[in-house]
Amino acid sequence: MKISLNWIKDYLPALDASPEEISRAITFLGFEVEAVLHSGAPALENVVVGKILTREKHPNADKLSVCTVDVGEAHGGVRTIVCGAPNCDAGRHVLAALPGAVLPGDFKIKSSKIRGQVSDGMLCSTDELGIGTDSEGILLLSGEPALGTAANDVLPAGDVVFDVEITPNRPDCQSHLGLARELAAWFKLPLVYPQSRFRGLAEDAPERRDLLAAVQVDTPVECPLYSAHIISGVKVGPSPDWLQARLSAVGLRPINNIVDVTNYVLLEYGQPLHAFDAARLGGDARVSPGGQRLHIRHAQAGETLTTLDGKARALEPPTLVIAGAETPLAVAGIMGGEASGVSDATSDLVLECAIFKRQTIRRTSKRLGLSSDSSYRYERGVDPHMALEAARRAIGLILETAGGEVVGPVFQVGGEVPWQREVVVTHDYICEKLGFDIPAEAMRAAFESLELRITREEPTEARGPAWTLAIPSWRQDLDRPIDLVEEVLRVYGTDKIPATPLTSPGLLAEDDPTVRFNRRVTDFLVGHDFNECASYTLRSGEELSTWVSQTAAAELALANPFVADQSHLRPTLLLGLLEALHLNQSRGTPVQRLCEVGRVFIESNGQTHECASVGFLIAEDTTTRHWLKREAADFYTAKHLVAALANAAGIDFARQPVEPTSGDFLGWQDGHAARAGDLEKLGWKARFGLLDLALVKSLGIEGKVYAGTFSILPEKLADAQTRRRFAPFSLYPATLRDLALVVPAALPAEDLRKQLQKTARAVVGNAFAVESVALFDVYRGESLGDAQKSLAFSLVFRAEDRTLTDDEVNAAFQKIQDELLASTGYALRK
Amino acid sequence: MQHTLDAILTSARAEFAADVPLPSRAEFEAAKARYVGPNGQLTAQMKKMGSVPKEERPALGKLINQTKLDVQQLLDAALARIEAGELRASLGPPIDPTLPAPDIGPGSYHPLSAVREELSRILRKVGFTVADGPEVETEYYCFDALNTPADHPARDTQDTFYLPSSVRFANVPKKTEHEHYLLRTHTSSVQIRTMLKGQPPIRIVSPGRVYRRDTTDATHSANFQQLECLYVDKNVTIADLKALLDYLFESLLGKDTKTRFRPHYFSYTEPSFEVDLSARHLPKVNKEWIEIGGCGMVDPAVFADVGYDPEVWSGYAFGMGIERLAMLLYGIDDIRYFYQNDLRFLRQFA
Repeated sequence: MKISLNWIKDYLPALDASPEEISRAITFLGFEVEAVLHSGAPALENVVVGKILTREKHPNADKLSVCTVDVGEAHGGVRTIVCGAPNCDAGRHVLAALPGAVLPGDFKIKSSKIRGQVSDGMLCSTDELGIGTDSEGILLLSGEPALGTAANDVLPAGDVVFDVEITPNRPDCQSHLGLARELAAWFKLPLVYPQSRFRGLAEDAPERRDLLAAVQVDTPVECPLYSAHIISGVKVGPSPDWLQARLSAVGLRPINNIVDVTNYVLLEYGQPLHAFDAARLGGDARVSPGGQRLHIRHAQAGETLTTLDGKARALEPPTLVIAGAETPLAVAGIMGGEASGVSDATSDLVLECAIFKRQTIRRTSKRLGLSSDSSYRYERGVDPHMALEAARRAIGLILETAGGEVVGPVFQVGGEVPWQREVVVTHDYICEKLGFDIPAEAMRAAFESLELRITREEPTEARGPAWTLAIPSWRQDLDRPIDLVEEVLRVYGTDKIPATPLTSPGLLAEDDPTVRFNRRVTDFLVGHDFNECASYTLRSGEELSTWVSQTAAAELALANPFVADQSHLRPTLLLGLLEALHLNQSRGTPVQRLCEVGRVFIESNGQTHECASVGFLIAEDTTTRHWLKREAADFYTAKHLVAALANAAGIDFARQPVEPTSGDFLGWQDGHAARAGDLEKLGWKARFGLLDLALVKSLGIEGKVYAGTFSILPEKLADAQTRRRFAPFSLYPATLRDLALVVPAALPAEDLRKQLQKTARAVVGNAFAVESVALFDVYRGESLGDAQKSLAFSLVFRAEDRTLTDDEVNAAFQKIQDELLASTGYALRK
Repeated sequence: MQHTLDAILTSARAEFAADVPLPSRAEFEAAKARYVGPNGQLTAQMKKMGSVPKEERPALGKLINQTKLDVQQLLDAALARIEAGELRASLGPPIDPTLPAPDIGPGSYHPLSAVREELSRILRKVGFTVADGPEVETEYYCFDALNTPADHPARDTQDTFYLPSSVRFANVPKKTEHEHYLLRTHTSSVQIRTMLKGQPPIRIVSPGRVYRRDTTDATHSANFQQLECLYVDKNVTIADLKALLDYLFESLLGKDTKTRFRPHYFSYTEPSFEVDLSARHLPKVNKEWIEIGGCGMVDPAVFADVGYDPEVWSGYAFGMGIERLAMLLYGIDDIRYFYQNDLRFLRQFA
């Protein structure tokens, strides 16, 4: 809200603080000052009207003139002033800054010698006076103002406008009076309330039921107060200068005296008002006497109204409207109708002053996409107990600026409930919450300066007294003792909160398991040369349907995206990483290893899961040349990294089945990527391998990209980890045997390894242990043909209590081979 | 025999002398066999002992043993030199330590992670541990429980991303059946979940992503990171809150840092303040006071909602944007750098 300093001074005539001090006061009272705008001339002391008597060229400078200027007897009569402006002609009336003057920008004027010539002041340009931008020539005054007149008396009056953001808890400060009240408390100045010339209907005022016969409110809950005054015989025209200046200063366009007054009172009291042209309420008095009425009701389906902004609006229940005899005239609390508004032809008007329910106005304003200064205030709350005073103020100003007289009857529906609220708070309670002491006297002063009247003060068993405070109607935000702590502190000054030592108790808990997991995997990946990235959570639907699945694109959409390319939740971190990869490649920055840790949203069987996730990618670096070649990353690099990430979550990845990917993510290259885990059954899932060559290429990325993701439900990480138990191990030597088999090329190695391990364990039984069965070679070659490959395994045997003999191991190994060959039909590789 | 033994020793000395080129390992093994192997010369001499008269045996035995020890010593020394030579050969020529390592790296932490972790460590020192919660929230945890009722202007849909009512989240529990899912607009929802889960005293810090329906520009981003502190205990005061913030920012930005409170309004704290920082000693800081976050004393209504007795418990909460702080800390002038992931940016903070 824009606040004019001149306007504020109407209520705080004693306010003489500088704009900077006032700005600071507003700030520390709790409102952000977004801008301070100066208009007109600032206060200019020792700057007076003078007349140039003579002008001569400066003897030592081409562009300077030496002038004699008469600045009036009171200021020393004729002075010599050196001037550099081309227009300082003799005979002109100008403004002279005399020694001692301080011009805007802290420009101090003193007597000085300029190129050997004494100059006893300065002739001013609009730029130097802070009222314009012309610095080429000095300001030439029109007319012949008296010499020695103070500059401020001939220049347009200055004003300072503060653009203040009013917090939603303080609707009372959506007005000049409200903010003046705050400043009164801060600067400890008396507040002068505006006085209305109109105090009530004159006893002999005529009744003009032909202009308005009735006011009917159907919805008292949504409209707890509706008052209407009839003013007859007004003359609509431009507002007086002072009123226009006030409105212009705060950014409102003057319209006519009636509308301007309602706007003025809105900005003064925060009370929205509306003036109807009494002749255009829609009832025809000649046809049906008493037909002129205002009806506050819900709109009916199909009704329309053209509002003041010229737009035809379709109304529907339960939009609250002010209707005439038949049709809606205004959308209650938001905007009046074009047809019933005040125009130059208006001579009789009806002034509405009402209170509407906040929620009603908010709902309607949102539905119509229409807001106004009026709806803005109703939505935040208007003080119902000041409403009628505001109406009287407006009527007084209308009579003053547009003439006419108030005629009967005066209508008022509702508004009878008087305001009363008291809050009890003790001195000790406030000190306890503050953590430091403020003297009781300072608290009393704070309350009183905010018009929180102390109705009772009683001693307590503690140190300070207990106060009963009468809360004024405009401070409905004050309801509890804690609310008063803030009031005291605001006025006392938050800068006075003392520095105290910080108490630092022991830890009550450990960091969240998800946080620790994130930390562990980030440390791991950064330790493995990954650059950690952060990318936006919101992705485009198109991207999801290309890279993930149609289901994801359908299920992860936001209801109200802001821009089209940020319309969906991310189901994987890879999309952001690919974007980062592309950005770096396109900027010529070599990049290989990128990772991100964060939340992803995975759709599965009609439900969405929010998961903790970690993703990485390894890109082929096609640009950098190295003097020494390193082996390139491959599928198993990704697998190894994913295993480590799973281990960080407490999962023994080596024991988890790994399968080739199937189509739940379109981005993987067929036959070169794999999956492990199951989000629904196990609470986690991993994907890793080569990204689809064609898709990667379509992004403009060069080279192959290997990637991996590991996602887990946060609650799964929270599971208590079971404490491991020590397992004793044998101190006797192991015996190794190797076994190579020729198998079908498509056979997963792990299937055979498991079978071999099972067979070996069955054969050996409890005699000793098959410690491990590990694959150590995969061979493909011409001798085996395309359809076959050879897998070689190493078996480790060991006994707990002795060194195994070759004989017993050979016997067992032979049996293992025989049984395996018999059950599988595979051949030994010779 | 004496002569023979002398000859053997002389031959061995000649063969393995330090100035003679070393034999290969195979040559060495052959030579060794020639002297001390089962068919070696010394072995042959020992076999002859049987035919030597009994009285000569001790002297001769001693002689043979001495010769054998001498030869063995020569062999051992030669072997040591051969092994040393082999190790040297396995090394190749000396490396050039000034050549660049051909591996990529080093890795780097994202500056936002780095700042977040640093803040967490600073706060941990004074008793705060990190709490976490879902980014998809419900209206209850994000608004209702924080004293922000349905008709509150802060709940305008224009500021908040909502999910369609058809969406079901398996692991984000709703409080009431009909509330909507949304993307949390602040991490205060974590405070509510933490308070509902346990009993005071509570001291948590909750960093994380939050979402605002806003235009992306140099200072705004659709998602950004926040960090909030919550302290619930008996007799917590405004002075305590000020002390925490003084400590936090002095720890992070240096002793010359000052904070100030400006009264403000948040629905979930009373009184509420905005926090300004003065850190003129940092580069690129050209304003006396920089707004850095919001704070206040937990509103009794919030305690009542989570079932804490407001007569017994008191507390404070503080929140700020991590990006904003990181920008100040590192002198970064555009928030979008954080989410572009240009390596030339990321590596500056490694």
